[in-house]
Amino acid sequence: MLMFTLQLLVAGIATGSVYALIALGIVLIYKCSGVVNFAQGAFVMLGAYLTYGLVKLGLPAYVALLGAMILMAGCGMASERLVLRPMMKAPLVAVMTVTLGMLILMKAVCLAIWGPDQLAFPRLFPDGAVDVFGIFVTYNYLAAFVLSICLSVGFLAFYQLTPIGLMQRCTADNPRAALAIGIHTSNQISLAWSMSAALAGIGGALLASLNGLSLGLADIGLVAFPVIVLGGLTSLTGALVAGLLLGVLQALTDGLLTPVAEQFLRTYTSIYSAGALQQVVPYALLVVVLLVRPEGIFGQRGTERL
Amino acid sequence: MSRPVLAAVLLSVLAVIGTLLLGRFGAYMMHAVAIAAIGALSLNLLTGFCGQINFAQAGLLGVGAYAAGLAGNAGWDLLALPVAGLAAVATAVLIGLPALRLRGLYFAIATLAAQFILEYLFKFAEPITHGVSGLLIKPMTVFGRPIQADQGYAIVAITLLLATFLVMHWLRRTDLGRSFLVVRENEVVAKGMGINVARTKMLAFMISGFFAGIAGGLIGFTARLAHPESFGMSLSVDYVAMIIVGGLGSMPGAVLGAGFITLLPEAIQRLGEIFHISDQLSALREMTFGLLIILFLIFEGRGLSAIGSRLVSARGWRTRQGGRAEPLELQKIKSSQGGLE
Repeated sequence: MLMFTLQLLVAGIATGSVYALIALGIVLIYKCSGVVNFAQGAFVMLGAYLTYGLVKLGLPAYVALLGAMILMAGCGMASERLVLRPMMKAPLVAVMTVTLGMLILMKAVCLAIWGPDQLAFPRLFPDGAVDVFGIFVTYNYLAAFVLSICLSVGFLAFYQLTPIGLMQRCTADNPRAALAIGIHTSNQISLAWSMSAALAGIGGALLASLNGLSLGLADIGLVAFPVIVLGGLTSLTGALVAGLLLGVLQALTDGLLTPVAEQFLRTYTSIYSAGALQQVVPYALLVVVLLVRPEGIFGQRGTERL
Repeated sequence: MSRPVLAAVLLSVLAVIGTLLLGRFGAYMMHAVAIAAIGALSLNLLTGFCGQINFAQAGLLGVGAYAAGLAGNAGWDLLALPVAGLAAVATAVLIGLPALRLRGLYFAIATLAAQFILEYLFKFAEPITHGVSGLLIKPMTVFGRPIQADQGYAIVAITLLLATFLVMHWLRRTDLGRSFLVVRENEVVAKGMGINVARTKMLAFMISGFFAGIAGGLIGFTARLAHPESFGMSLSVDYVAMIIVGGLGSMPGAVLGAGFITLLPEAIQRLGEIFHISDQLSALREMTFGLLIILFLIFEGRGLSAIGSRLVSARGWRTRQGGRAEPLELQKIKSSQGGLE
């Protein structure tokens, strides 16, 4: 039982670290341009499909992954330049909806090119597993975890320590002041979008290597929203911690809670299956967070109320 | 009767006559559009008037469909639709309680969560909803007489659409309706004016929910089935698209947008049949749909209704009555804050 739980924890941490990576992108865009990007799920999906496409073209896995990341950065920048920039002065309802439009469009493009069926994602990492005190950690999980954490931490370091990171933070903090000291804020926003899309793209490829490739990845990408609310909307560290937490929670729900719940339901009611409980758990948690601590774990108190 | 009311009544009468002349397919399209228009008007009240974006519209429609189905099957006759409305109001209260105290952004994310939770409940609460096989719904009865023909449903739907339109037209001119607009434009100002912002938003959500429930009930009765898959996230996005394409905050716009988004797949279907590309149809439909939303928002933020009124004023119909100004709305929706921050 203990081993099983630990095994679940490993899976949860691996997926959770990928969630964190995706959520970082949303927080970055929100901080920088005040846009809640619902297309992040589509970036996740598109990144995975691009990696798949590049591998099918005969590129080695790592090159494909890198190529997809670069293409996604371009895609993020294009979205900002072509779609978001003309809408800079539009009301937020309209901006949110336009990102939804992008989500639909990208999903449709993937549907047209790759079809509606689940595809076998190419092996990015070798088969096999490491044995850590009797817990088997497959290379897939290990690679997803290590890559996500490295990228997240690398990104945080970049954001905190480099001159460009400083300009990013300036733009997020006070766009007018940033303009006044000579920072080209709209370039910074473009950069934020391209970094965010690149992170999401890698996240998508990693998720696909864990769970297979389908259009459903776009919906899985939406789990990043409970993550950012739990983490506190504007906190990058919060997104990281909350991502890991939610991944673990999902894995534990899937492995431990669902069987118990089904046992209970079959005994006392006529319901046979608890369904995909792990998919709604993040959203249920989101509602609880909004009730109990709407500013999230790392958010600033008072910014979220009217 | 004021001009918009008169126009709405006349158009409804024309629609009913048209339905009687058209065949079965025409009547089917007519009720599909009319029901979507009720749902779009409901969302427009919340998003267009009050500035709160709602991604759980499909979930509310679903609650309406299941409630109307259960009540109808139990023989509640005409009461089934109000029951559907009230069930959706109760759901709206549950969603609104944690979310409406917070800034608009949190409400949007909370409704996203609510949408997924509702979808899950539709699948999971088998004793009530019959899970993934869906709830079979008997034909709607009016004073004990079941409606069988599509024409009958079209007439019911058009009548209810007219009623919805008139109620909202009246509501917009009440104190409550005006306070919706103030909350949308600026919550701080609204507070300063003595408006209880959280309560106003909650009322907007409840009224919106009631009409969504009725529209959902009609969807259930016309489809004769309430199925979890038919009330998914993509339907919510369809409704957001309707009010955006129609023109946020405009009631004729919501009706136009509903017609446009409902008929678009049919039109693409026809085009596909002509050009023999039926394999890619769903992708093509979605692509057109996504592009339309993006293009409308970038180039014509006020949607079909603005294009319509430009056409009208270009012909000098408007100038004759001396350029009457619309009361406190719409004119500045592109430059305003939209009430979400």
